[in-house]
Amino acid sequence: MNAMRTPHIAVCLKVVPRPEEVKVNLETRTLDRANARQQFNPPDVNALEFALALREKHVGRVSVLSMGPPFFAEYLKLALAVGADTAYLLSDRAFGGADTLPTSYTLARGIAKLGDCDLVVCGEESSDGATAQVPPGIAEWLGMAQVTYGSDLEILPERWRLKARRELKGGHEVITVPLPAVVSVRVGANEPRFIDFARLTGEPLGVTVWSAADLGVDPAMVGLSGSATVVAGVDRAETVERRRELLTGTPEEKARTLVERIAVYLARGTRPDGAAASSPAAHA
Amino acid sequence: MALSVAPADAVLLDDALSEELLRLTDGAAAPCFQCGACTATCPWGLVSGEGLSVRKLMRRAQLGLAHENGAVWLCTTCAACEARCPRGVPISRVMVALRQAAWQHRHVPAGLNALMWGMYWDGNPWGRPPSQRSIWARGLEVPAFGPTSEILYYVGCTASYDQRMQKIARALAGIFRAAGVEYGTLGDREPCCGEAAHNLGQAGYVRQVVAANERLFAEAGVGTIVALSPHCYDMFRNRYFLDGHPGGWRPLHYSEYLAELIAAGRLTFEQPLAMRVTYHDPCYLGRRNGLYEAPREVLRAIPGLELVEMEESRAEALCCGGGGGRMWQETAAGQRFADLRVAQARATGAEVLVTTCPHCIACLEDSAKLGGGAPLRVVDVAEVVAAALGVSTARPAAREMAR
Repeated sequence: MNAMRTPHIAVCLKVVPRPEEVKVNLETRTLDRANARQQFNPPDVNALEFALALREKHVGRVSVLSMGPPFFAEYLKLALAVGADTAYLLSDRAFGGADTLPTSYTLARGIAKLGDCDLVVCGEESSDGATAQVPPGIAEWLGMAQVTYGSDLEILPERWRLKARRELKGGHEVITVPLPAVVSVRVGANEPRFIDFARLTGEPLGVTVWSAADLGVDPAMVGLSGSATVVAGVDRAETVERRRELLTGTPEEKARTLVERIAVYLARGTRPDGAAASSPAAHA
Repeated sequence: MALSVAPADAVLLDDALSEELLRLTDGAAAPCFQCGACTATCPWGLVSGEGLSVRKLMRRAQLGLAHENGAVWLCTTCAACEARCPRGVPISRVMVALRQAAWQHRHVPAGLNALMWGMYWDGNPWGRPPSQRSIWARGLEVPAFGPTSEILYYVGCTASYDQRMQKIARALAGIFRAAGVEYGTLGDREPCCGEAAHNLGQAGYVRQVVAANERLFAEAGVGTIVALSPHCYDMFRNRYFLDGHPGGWRPLHYSEYLAELIAAGRLTFEQPLAMRVTYHDPCYLGRRNGLYEAPREVLRAIPGLELVEMEESRAEALCCGGGGGRMWQETAAGQRFADLRVAQARATGAEVLVTTCPHCIACLEDSAKLGGGAPLRVVDVAEVVAAALGVSTARPAAREMAR
């Protein structure tokens, strides 16, 4: 009976610093991302691609949402140029300093405000936070079914369910859940389409900004004050200088030397650092 | 109802696509009268039974028929066909426009979207951070471009990041130093010229890249820009500052610049270099920009060096297979033009195959290594010149290269 229904799909997008450009401030022991170039969190672009592919098949609409500072709006315009229909930026000073609890709460309130969302697609985790907690958090706040680490998505229109493939160690599983649902997807699960520059440079692309007041959120539940975690301390792990050595000679000589060096440890059953070669640590 | 009289397998012309292609190609395919000289000339005919029917693609471009079989992505834009076309059709331009339409209709081979995202975020097609762009120069004192610089040395993405091609970048820096050239680079600020995106049909993106780079070059006061790669050179020469440049835009390929230095007596060779070499014309230097003599002049200036020509050279030169975005797509073994080119080079009896393009070197070196037969070294003109001058191109030890 839902065969004619078209889905409204929300995609949560985060803008993250390029990992190689983030420096650690050794004095304050905080991440210095002031000069870091930004990009979309990689799996979030896979999420957007899944949403656009589902729209191609089932019609419907794709909305992108992000929580972040005003400059994120330029990135949401990129998502519109890639193909999303509408973009919402949840931006308010009160949202600053949020851990995954208020982040998932705020995003869930944004998705709830969309009103008729059938499917929320997120990346598996953010490259800067790497907790993977936000997608399940959104599902909890919204009381929706959830699937994590999806690698392929399908909407079953007759049954109005999401069918998702999940890659597991040693195999995969295919599960279906009722819609509305939240699904997080694996990085690299598809090849996201590139920006359509005709769209980017054509008609102005509008991003709707929603503040804390617009969302009607409880101020105590957003940002730093709503966060359940506190960073109590950060310490530095000293790196160990490696005993690197450059072998010389012809490729054959180098290979022979290498085999001789390794053979010693194989015979002794120990690694150069003294650990037993067969201990679990050797495989860690 | 009127259409119902057409048989089910009839090919229907799409007026909208026809107009789109006419607009994208600027009507460039219109003069084609379907003689088929292009198909007969195309190197794909040498490596695959079917070849690439360039003629058919031109006809489809005239009619406005979609290209869903991917043929349009095979073209290396080598322009061998253009050299033979009796109607002067800018065939590779039509190919690039067809690719542009293919993007809009999402008929794009796997991997190219990812390549474009990589270029967009990283500013180079190699997926490497801009902050490592000048890693090729470790251990060398490479000056930053400034008001006293005679030239901007534009290294390009491939020679900046690819370990093999870094040797060329180092050789050229050494040559400039030996010749007393006041050169400078933009270091990590050096932008990608946009060539890969251009030839893969991303015209809208390229417009943005070119506009940003023009601003950067103008603000830095760049007039004479000496590019290491013919691909970057082609971009600078044919797609930058088309509306003029305040101080005079002078894009050069480095072989032209070295020929100028030799003619001016600034670059001289004291020691002979006994070497029998043959020279491969890169498509983007030769056929596409008419630069056949400069690299040969440079090689001839080296005492002791013997230059022999291959069976096909200059305008007849066989493409290496790496142009037109083919560098970013896989070409099956047995279908690589470079295999044939390496065989032509071996037939001359030369011990060294010299060229002036990182893409050519990548393709030719692979074929020279994998093909068997007599040993054949593949090197860049800059590396030959550096050897003749006694300039080292060796990289510092790995630990000094590491960050």
